[in-house]
Amino acid sequence: MKQIKFRAALLILSVLIVSVLSACGSSNANKSNTASAGSDAGNKPSGDPVTISFIHWRGEDVEALNGIIQKFEAANPGINVEMQTMPSEQYQSTAQAKLADASVGDVFTSFPGAQFGALAKAGVFADLSGESFLSNYNPALIEAGKQDGKQLAVPYQLVYNDPIYNVKLFEKYGLTTPKDWDGFLALCEKLKSEGIIPIAFAGADIGPGQLMNSMVMNNEPSTDIFTKVEAGEAKLTDPFWVKTLSQFKELNDKGYLQKDALGTKDAAAGALFIQEKAAILASGSFQLAQNKKQNPNLEQQLLAPITVAADQAKYEGIHTTTFMLAVNSKSKHPKEAKKFIAFLSGKDIAGEYANATGQNVTVKDVQYTTPELQVATAWASKKTLFQPRFTITNADNQKAVTNSIQAVLSGKSPEDAAKEAQAIVDQHLTK
Amino acid sequence: MRNRKLLWLFLLPGLLLYLAIFMYPTVTGLFYSFTNWDGVSPSYHLVGLDNYKDTLTSIVFRKALFNNVKFMIAVVLAQTAVSLGLALLLVKNHRIHVVLRALFFFPAVLSSVSVGLIWSFVYDPSLGLINAALDRLGADAWMQNWTGSTHIALYAIAFVQVWAHAGQMMIVFIAGLQTIPEELNEAARIDGAGRWQIFRRITWPLLAPSATIVVAYTTIQSFKAFDLIFTMTDGGPNYATEILTTYIYHTAFASYAFGPASAGSVIFLIVLSVLTALQFRLLRGNRIAYS
Repeated sequence: MKQIKFRAALLILSVLIVSVLSACGSSNANKSNTASAGSDAGNKPSGDPVTISFIHWRGEDVEALNGIIQKFEAANPGINVEMQTMPSEQYQSTAQAKLADASVGDVFTSFPGAQFGALAKAGVFADLSGESFLSNYNPALIEAGKQDGKQLAVPYQLVYNDPIYNVKLFEKYGLTTPKDWDGFLALCEKLKSEGIIPIAFAGADIGPGQLMNSMVMNNEPSTDIFTKVEAGEAKLTDPFWVKTLSQFKELNDKGYLQKDALGTKDAAAGALFIQEKAAILASGSFQLAQNKKQNPNLEQQLLAPITVAADQAKYEGIHTTTFMLAVNSKSKHPKEAKKFIAFLSGKDIAGEYANATGQNVTVKDVQYTTPELQVATAWASKKTLFQPRFTITNADNQKAVTNSIQAVLSGKSPEDAAKEAQAIVDQHLTK
Repeated sequence: MRNRKLLWLFLLPGLLLYLAIFMYPTVTGLFYSFTNWDGVSPSYHLVGLDNYKDTLTSIVFRKALFNNVKFMIAVVLAQTAVSLGLALLLVKNHRIHVVLRALFFFPAVLSSVSVGLIWSFVYDPSLGLINAALDRLGADAWMQNWTGSTHIALYAIAFVQVWAHAGQMMIVFIAGLQTIPEELNEAARIDGAGRWQIFRRITWPLLAPSATIVVAYTTIQSFKAFDLIFTMTDGGPNYATEILTTYIYHTAFASYAFGPASAGSVIFLIVLSVLTALQFRLLRGNRIAYS
């Protein structure tokens, strides 16, 4: 009897295990059936719907993109788009693994710099070179998606990573945008003397990574200075970076950044600007729409500090192209995925996206409907440099660079801070 | 014999889960620590002990390890003292004590990410509650750049860690206190012992098993801290709050270096195991019993 009971228990357990395993198996089988149906999209009988997965990190764009996806599906019967978003940190950590096994992300997005490099190395990008929709873009603005002559991704958003200033406050105190470093310091001094915080600086998170770009652009007017640093051909202890750190220190020591700037996060720095306690926000054009939403009375423009004499200034500001659209090289539905990117690349759809999200785009001739988006249009004709921080491809080096700014704001000498950062870069050089 | 087979049968699901969820990642992590895998590429190469050598000589890893030790010591000392103090105050089963216990335990049920975000606002130097309160009380000399100072940021986070978990450890101490027979205290009082003497000679020695649990648990918990630091400072400013878990995370998911990150994880596991074993050994010697 006991023996029977034991055998019965064993049988039940076996059935359970087999059921669980077969459930997994059938689930996989279903997936692979769908996939094979889709992979053979050209031969499949009409009416078989194909679902493509679109993953990205911009949760704030979901509403706008839902509307666009509906239009795409209406225009392309038989193709469904399943959109999935995750916060950017999670996107960095989770999405890359999912992309590698193609479980999601027929269409996906990538950051420029370290993530683009890693995904390109892993062969995750399908080659988009020669696709007709590329002609819709400003060619200079999609360079960041190229590698070895191939267009692996298409940067969709255009950002000017230059500080934002409060136009009305500037007018109130008779200030104009300065053309050199002395002029910038004089402007900050005037604002300070009027009881206004000259620069709201999110030193705890995004501040160093944003302001460093325009601070360094004329101290070393080069497109590849950090590439040279990472190759060991230049050093952070060279004059260009020590000077940049000294100027950060000068801004802090003279009280032109708000008190305790290193403890201030993005939202708090933004609040100082939105509440008009600060005249300049060391951020970028991506923040314009959000600021306006929270304070409709704000009039905003961009202003990059010129850290040299006026006649030595080569660049007027910084730009970045990001939210890079790509097709997974392992996608079972590459044709449908490219169709979706082509749809997003249309002038009208790109305009719809831009105006609904408050982000400028790299697509040509888009009509922007808000003053905030038109700010960036004016900057399109200026001489701007691609964000130097994103030319640092090793994230440890990137952090070492931005941390050296935090170090000088903590009281370290620019020379020592540069030396410490270079020591970290040197460790990566030897690997 | 039959019981043993049945025992194994019932253990099997748990064992399978343990193997799949804990052992498999641990073993694969150990394997990847000897490779140059970037976490995305389908291919990788064996690099021997290079990742270990690079990790152990990394400036940032060393800073992180040093910060880890400082953070752990601060949290273990403060959390043990605070939770013991709370337990001694709230050990009785009066209604008010029960309510206060629930209040002090409450932070433990909050997600640590929420706690980190809330305290980020509380600590904000210009808009935060603490500096605002100090200012209003006329104690502006005490106002600090809590998470923005390289000198105090780590301790500011340690305070939040203690705030979040002291209530949990208080429960362990209360359970320990409730096992001490009241007769012992009474006998000591009759013999003329004061409160301090009773605590030193009776309560504390008999609390040794609870203290062992609290200290060991707090050590592990503080050494493994991640969410609070990640949400409050992300290791900054200038690596002042970088600890091993954030170092491993940044290496794996920002630098795309899974091989070195796995080596860091293995070193982390070894350090943590040694620490825990040492503590158990040291604290086990303190146990006594009265009969």
